[in-house]
Amino acid sequence: MGVLDGLFRRRERSSDIARERLLTVLVHDRVKLTPELLEQLKAELSAVIARYVPTVDPDTIEVTLFRGELIDHLKAEFPLRRQR
Amino acid sequence: MSRVITITSGKGGVGKTTSTANLGTALAMQGAKVAVVDADIGLRNLDVVMGLENRIVYDLVDVVEGRCRLRQALIKDKHFSDLFLLPAAQTRDKDAVGPEDMIALANQLRTEFDYVLIDSPAGIEGGFRNAIAGADEVLIITTPEVSAVRDADRIIGLVEAAEKGSPQLIINRIKPRMVNRGDMMSTDDVLQILAIDLIGAIPDDETIVTSTNRGEVAVLDRASRAGRAFSDVARRIAGEQVPMPTLEDEQGVFDKLFGMLARRPRGSER
Repeated sequence: MGVLDGLFRRRERSSDIARERLLTVLVHDRVKLTPELLEQLKAELSAVIARYVPTVDPDTIEVTLFRGELIDHLKAEFPLRRQR
Repeated sequence: MSRVITITSGKGGVGKTTSTANLGTALAMQGAKVAVVDADIGLRNLDVVMGLENRIVYDLVDVVEGRCRLRQALIKDKHFSDLFLLPAAQTRDKDAVGPEDMIALANQLRTEFDYVLIDSPAGIEGGFRNAIAGADEVLIITTPEVSAVRDADRIIGLVEAAEKGSPQLIINRIKPRMVNRGDMMSTDDVLQILAIDLIGAIPDDETIVTSTNRGEVAVLDRASRAGRAFSDVARRIAGEQVPMPTLEDEQGVFDKLFGMLARRPRGSER
C-alpha cells in the first residue's frame, strides 16, 4: 500500500460505521438470543444432527445471526469430519 | 379532549427533561392549559430546568399518599398562568408510587388540563413503567449516537408491548456540520433504523445550556434555534402541519463546498 493510496483512499465515514454497528447490535437485541441460549441451541442442534450424521463435532458448530435486506437470518454451519 | 403524553428515552442525558419543559411551555404559549409532571422520583430536575425550584411545597408522592390535594402540589409557572408543574419527590425512591397511582393521577389531571406531559426517568424498570402507565401517547427522545439509538429501540419495543401505540420520535442535539461531513448519523439514518414517525429534529444549541443555567426555557428565546425547533414540535403535537426543515442544509453554500473539498475534519469545529 503506497503513500498515494493512503492519500486518495476515501476515509470511511464514521456515521456509516455507526449505522452498520447499530444495525448489527439491534439484530441481536431484537432476537433476544442470549449467549447461554445460543450455547443451548448449538447443543440441541448438534444432538439432532448427530442422529443423522454421526461424525459431526459439536465444538465446531457455528451459529450466527445475520442482518439481511428484508429479513434477518440465523445461520448454522456443521463441519463434518472427513472419514475413510 | 385532553391528552396525556409521556416523554421517555431509555438512555439518560439525551434531553428528556429539557424537552418536557420546552414542549410544555410551547404548548402553553399556544394558549393550551398544560401540566408538566416530573415522574423521576428521587432525582427531581424538571423544577430547576423551569426555574421553579424555590416554590415547591408538596410533591407527587404527597398527592399519591394523600398528604395534600392535587391543586396544592401544582406550581404555577413564572410566565404562563395556564402552565403548572407537579414536582417529583426528592427524598423518596421510585417504589413510593405504582402504575395504578400514576393512572389515577393522570386521569385527575386530565379533567383540568388540555395537555399533561410526563417526564419519565431513564431506564426500563419501575420508574419508566410508572411514567407510561397513564399515558395516551409516548414521545421518544434520542440523540444521533449509537448508544442512545440502541436504547431507544429497546424502549420502542416496550412501549409497543404496553399497547401505547407507536411512539413518535424526537432526535435531539443534531450537529449539522458533523452530519454533512459524515461524522454523525443523519435524521434519515436514525429514522431508518428505528422505523417510527419523526415529530421533531432539534439542532445542538448552546442556548439550551445558558437558558437552563438561568432557569428559563429555550422556547422563550426567539434567537434560540433549538427553541424554535421545540416550538415546531409543540405545533405538530397540536395537530398543525409544520414542515420539517432539513438541518443539514442550514449551513451556507460555502461551507458545503468546503466540506466537500476538505477531507480532514477542521481543528476548531463550532
